[in-house]
Amino acid sequence: MEEAKKAGYDIHSILHEMREEYWHGLAEVDEVQDEYLECVSFSLGGEIYAFESVCAAEIVRIPKLVKVPRVPEIIVGVFNLRGQITAAMDFRPFFGLPQPPLTSAGRIIVVRSEKFAMGILTEAVHGVEALSLGSFESVVKSLPGAQREYIRGQLHHGGRLIMLLDIVKLLSSPELVVGQ
Amino acid sequence: MQTKYLDIFIKEAEEHLTSLQKGLLLLEKGTGDAALIHELLRNAHTLKGSARMLGIDGISAIAHRMEDLLKDIEEGRKPVGSTSVDLLLQGTDAISRMAVALAKGEESPVDVEKFIAAFDRGESTAEAVKEAGQPEEEVLGDTVRAKVKTLDSLVNFMGELIINKKRFEDKAATLKYLCQAGGDTLPAAQIREFQRGLEEDVLYLNYLIQELYGETMSLRMLPLRTITEGFRRLVRDLAKAQGKEIELEMSGEGIEVDRVLLEMLKPMFLHILTNAVDHGVESPAERQAKGKPAKGTVRVVARHEGSSVWIAIRDDGRGMDPGKIKEVAVRRGVISREEADLLTEEDALYLTLRPGFSTSEIVTDISGRGVGMDVVKKNAERVKGNILLKSEPGAFTEITLQLPLTLSVIEALMVTCGGETYAIPLSYVQETIKIRAEDIKTVGGKEAVSVRGLTTPLVSLARLLGLPEQKTFLEAGKIAAVVLKLRDHCLACMVDATLDSSEIVVKGLGGQLRSVKYIFGATILGDGNPALILNVPDIFAGAEGAETAGLRKVFEESRAASQRGSILVVDDSITTRTMERSILVAHGYRVEIAISGEDALEKVAGDRFDLVITDIEMPGINGFELTKKLRALDEYREVPVIVVSSLSRDEDKRRAIDAGAQAYIVKGSFDQGTLLDTVEAIIG
Repeated sequence: MEEAKKAGYDIHSILHEMREEYWHGLAEVDEVQDEYLECVSFSLGGEIYAFESVCAAEIVRIPKLVKVPRVPEIIVGVFNLRGQITAAMDFRPFFGLPQPPLTSAGRIIVVRSEKFAMGILTEAVHGVEALSLGSFESVVKSLPGAQREYIRGQLHHGGRLIMLLDIVKLLSSPELVVGQ
Repeated sequence: MQTKYLDIFIKEAEEHLTSLQKGLLLLEKGTGDAALIHELLRNAHTLKGSARMLGIDGISAIAHRMEDLLKDIEEGRKPVGSTSVDLLLQGTDAISRMAVALAKGEESPVDVEKFIAAFDRGESTAEAVKEAGQPEEEVLGDTVRAKVKTLDSLVNFMGELIINKKRFEDKAATLKYLCQAGGDTLPAAQIREFQRGLEEDVLYLNYLIQELYGETMSLRMLPLRTITEGFRRLVRDLAKAQGKEIELEMSGEGIEVDRVLLEMLKPMFLHILTNAVDHGVESPAERQAKGKPAKGTVRVVARHEGSSVWIAIRDDGRGMDPGKIKEVAVRRGVISREEADLLTEEDALYLTLRPGFSTSEIVTDISGRGVGMDVVKKNAERVKGNILLKSEPGAFTEITLQLPLTLSVIEALMVTCGGETYAIPLSYVQETIKIRAEDIKTVGGKEAVSVRGLTTPLVSLARLLGLPEQKTFLEAGKIAAVVLKLRDHCLACMVDATLDSSEIVVKGLGGQLRSVKYIFGATILGDGNPALILNVPDIFAGAEGAETAGLRKVFEESRAASQRGSILVVDDSITTRTMERSILVAHGYRVEIAISGEDALEKVAGDRFDLVITDIEMPGINGFELTKKLRALDEYREVPVIVVSSLSRDEDKRRAIDAGAQAYIVKGSFDQGTLLDTVEAIIG
């Protein structure tokens, strides 16, 4: 086997490769017909969440967050986004998720709505990738309130379960705004 | 018709209309002479001619009639009286409305034939003119008109900045070269030269930034005139509607203020002016009986002083009666009887600024939008301004607004507290002090210190803001505190340390944090991180909340406002009640609906509402009867009632008050704002 490989013509492995390629090609054709959603995926409370990347304006390292007194827990603080004071939100308590401390891998995803920009604190951002909606399942009914309200569902991608956030709805949630 | 000509006509018409309006008011005042009349004649004549050229017959016809009337006046065939002036003003308005409609491509709101017929008879032309819709809230807009010169100079400075940046790049390269070439020993002479060059560049950069800052700021400034233009007319019309004669005198309209400030100032201004007309100046008969001239005067004086603008609005009306104010305040539960007795006459005036206080017994249409002086106070605080009240019963009321010139840059004292840096606007800072433990006294269970012989309450900023408190300073023996002043009150505020004062750029907290208690905004420090700017009036309110029972009540009230009350809406029209319901629900109130008076009575039996809003004309018992019946119920004797009705006669309003209603909103003038303001004023 070892020798044959060196010789460069191990017929079995060549056939195996060809077969693999053939199946892979078939699978790809299938996926192309599938619907894709380009999403930015990130970690919250150890789970993986994602939303449409068009909604994400930019991703920044976590700067110094200045606490604002007497505002809801999810508004962790404000930071300077190129001269604009922007609120950083920790949605983990909102979604009833655990809050492991943020490390140097932590990032803020800046999202913009019509009225304001806000930063979403994440434990890490995994990147932007096209997620196939083929494996999409709607939201599990047993989830608690806020989760059911703002999570559209989950999908499997690369062996991981990804929760799809309804970012537009989340941004327009009145609970995010303090004061009238 | 070519729009190009139409545009030109509309611009021209605007000029003539403004001139007519101003001139007519002068004419009525009796200060007009032949030249003025002639000028007005020319305005009307030109309007007529231009309109005819473009085939806008309606405007041309009305202008023609005005011209005729002015001619009669000029030649002495008709007297210059308020009737003629009224007619001419109506003509001006009609043309103005038609021009606006033309510009928007809408149908003319004026029935020209009817208008002219009424005009010729010398009668009110109101019927010929379609009721103006709710006038669109006039905002100063998102756009700025700038002089080309200013823009050029801005561009020029930007160019200079870019050149300056290049110089810095060169410097960076030089430094890099020096570091590499010198190895461990840096060439001292070259470093010195480098340092001199850098210093020069920094100086120049400093100059550029200052110039740029000045130019950009000037783009934000607008003269006060921008908002006061229509005030003379407004005061005249309001006064006339109430059978009063009032003249508005203004000076200092040319003073320039930040546009954002102007926007906030306008509603305050309108409110104070309508108050003066409504409640301040007496009727001519009453005035004459008191030996005053029949015609009342409202005088607005604006002036610069330091970095503030002072605007005094003074009417020579009946003034404010401290005794009566105290009495009402006690009755409304704003303060206790004991507190009232302790208040000086001057302090009593300021009770009118408290939420829930309004000396006028009923909310009228005229004082319409704002409901009490607390609205004015809120707005003034929002821009870090102050309100001063002065009055002499029977003689005058003077309300002075002290406002900053601009909101964009302020002097602030930086302090640290709970590990964060905060900025306190310097205009509120009296001094900074160091306190030793033995300096602290307790007064009525509360801590206080003596500042310049004055016992001043002492509070912890950290505790107020809900931050972790530092215990170490107690061991160090001395506590740093900032003495804040608001009007004539002082408050010592413990902080971890006081830093320098500096000029800071004020920024909003963004759309998400629209109003945060204790915080006015934020600024960005030299290290690029934000620091919050404290809202001093909030700190006073928060500190006072823990001080005396009466003040605590005010505090609780403002807190209760965030958990809004429940309201019963009674109306037989589904449109009205759905509209009212959605407005109120959207603003956090709990709303129940009743479709008739009977239904309402059933609903109140099973629930406890904080407020009832009712229509008058309904099948079954009407709104008056419903109000009376509610008043007869033990639980609803005190519950406020707002009447919303299409009946606009004073008699109906009177009946509503007699039945026990607190406010009356005419459906014609009904809009979200009026309803909300009224509801907020009554139940918060």
